[in-house]
Amino acid sequence: MSDKVKVAYFDFTCCEGCQIEMTNFGDAAFLELLNHVEVVEFREAMSEKTTERINIAFIEGSFSREADRARLEEIRERSDIVIAYGACACTGGINALKNHQNDYHEEVYGKDAKMPHLDSQIALPVSAAIKVDYNINGCPMDKDEFIRVVSHLVHGKQPVIPNHPVCVECKLRETVCRYDQGDHCLGMVARAGCGAPCPADGIPCEACRGFIDHPNEESLVKVLMEKGGLSRERAETRSRMFTANCRADAPEKIVSPNK
Amino acid sequence: MNAFFIKEADFTQFLGNMIGARKVIGPKARKNRFVFDQIRKPEDLRLDYDVTILPPKKVFFPPRQELIRFHGQKGSSCIQPESTVLFGVHFYDIKAIDMTDHLFRENNMDFNYLAQRECTTLIGSNVQNIFKRAFFGSVGKGVAPKGHDGFTTKISGGYLYEVYTAKGKDLLAYGTFIEATEEQINEAREVNDSVMDKCPEKINHDSLEISEKVRSKFNSPVWEEFAHDCFSCGSCNLVCPTCYCFDVQDNWNVDQVTGSRDRTWDGCLLEDFSSCSLTGGSKENFRETRGSRYRHRIMRKTSYLTAKLGGPACVGCGRCSSSCTADIADPVNVINRLMEE
Ligand code: SF4
Ligand code: SF4
Repeated sequence: MSDKVKVAYFDFTCCEGCQIEMTNFGDAAFLELLNHVEVVEFREAMSEKTTERINIAFIEGSFSREADRARLEEIRERSDIVIAYGACACTGGINALKNHQNDYHEEVYGKDAKMPHLDSQIALPVSAAIKVDYNINGCPMDKDEFIRVVSHLVHGKQPVIPNHPVCVECKLRETVCRYDQGDHCLGMVARAGCGAPCPADGIPCEACRGFIDHPNEESLVKVLMEKGGLSRERAETRSRMFTANCRADAPEKIVSPNK
Repeated sequence: MNAFFIKEADFTQFLGNMIGARKVIGPKARKNRFVFDQIRKPEDLRLDYDVTILPPKKVFFPPRQELIRFHGQKGSSCIQPESTVLFGVHFYDIKAIDMTDHLFRENNMDFNYLAQRECTTLIGSNVQNIFKRAFFGSVGKGVAPKGHDGFTTKISGGYLYEVYTAKGKDLLAYGTFIEATEEQINEAREVNDSVMDKCPEKINHDSLEISEKVRSKFNSPVWEEFAHDCFSCGSCNLVCPTCYCFDVQDNWNVDQVTGSRDRTWDGCLLEDFSSCSLTGGSKENFRETRGSRYRHRIMRKTSYLTAKLGGPACVGCGRCSSSCTADIADPVNVINRLMEE
């Protein structure tokens, strides 16, 4: 028992959809994995909590309250490896859409806007508070990628987190490019690893895994306008849904832990 | 005599018989583009295609391939070649396959590629529609297509089928072929010759001249300029019929005991392609800038491989030009510009 890898799951500002995705493995795969790892804390699936040493901590959700910093630091302190999983934890995700606005409290909560529990700062990735060793990107994260990363760590190998754009995965599966269909797409700057299901279904990539390490944002705006037919304003803001913290205009530019 | 004729009206039956007896891969429509895929009905075969998204090399060198399956420390090979007829390949792609045949055969033989290559019957077909970015008429003119088993050309009333090997001859059994006349052979030659100067794009110089000049531009600032809008997306590599780089990774199954060693196409335009680990856990990327990666591809296509291949490692298919969303990958623009400098 004791030589199993001890893992724990923690959640911050998020919808907990990635934890649900985890339970979607299906019994067979999940039980198989449990032969190799011991889950010591997982709020979505069990009630126990621990203070013991953790080999791998999986953190979901963005860092959006200063008050959470201490909890994150405590997790870092007792974990050998910290993995941020899901868009919120890796890049701030969709939560970071509020970062360039200041009227959302009133818009969303009306007369309750000033309630103390609604107080939060801008949404940042976990790596803005503590050192993160690996990101498992995506909204939600991809359970096969999760298995790949965990397997590599169980075998003492360094997992490879893709730093190539979604275009690569469209080419590998020979998807007709959205631009060849008179549409637009963010695949050229979006971090891959998903297998590019959206363009294959006829939908532009939204970059839910954030950007690659060095996205050419200037060229993106140009292509969105010239080939995608978007207005300048829309071309400039188009990628913000999932990349508010990755863009050049981010309030606090994040550094990819995968470098 | 190795040239045969089959009437248009008999061609469908020929395809039907061949599909019934063999695994046939040929050009097929996918949305507004074409892809090489298994042909299950004669009407799926689109010999009127202009170009496919991926080149036919994927039949021998798939985008993702298991190399070995392992169980603990024991590994076993996954080479499982399947007898295949690759039908309807344009001459420029035949030239490219001849190059990858050479590259995968030299030094360390690539048995995965060669096993599938050897049990494939490769049949060409004439270019009926020219791709909007093609320039095959002006590149590597001295290099003849070879290594194929037969070639079909659409001529008046039907198809001329030229047979080059025993594998090509085997296909005669599936249809009603008669010996072709001198006239039909000449007509086919004309059909194939006539597309050569109909390409929308053209390289203006001879490949040897280009090879030397481009090489001499290694330190020129033009590379960063050309690559200014580059996304480092690797599309220009991945769609190219003569690119052959791949990455190898081990993947475990959930049981953590079994798994596979897999290879996936890679490309020199991708940022991590030239990144390597050094002792002490540090990393080094020997082509760190977009310009240096962009230059590398053009050098490979125009200069580095010419001695080995007897011509440029580009066949003028135009796939890279059209797959580049920033539209900066077109070798014609780069080469013509450098030659005029
Ligand atoms: S470099 Fe471009 S045009 Fe030349 S063979 Fe490759 S994809 Fe085709
Ligand atoms: S396809 Fe174009 S943008 Fe993509 S890597 Fe090649 S040159 Fe750069």
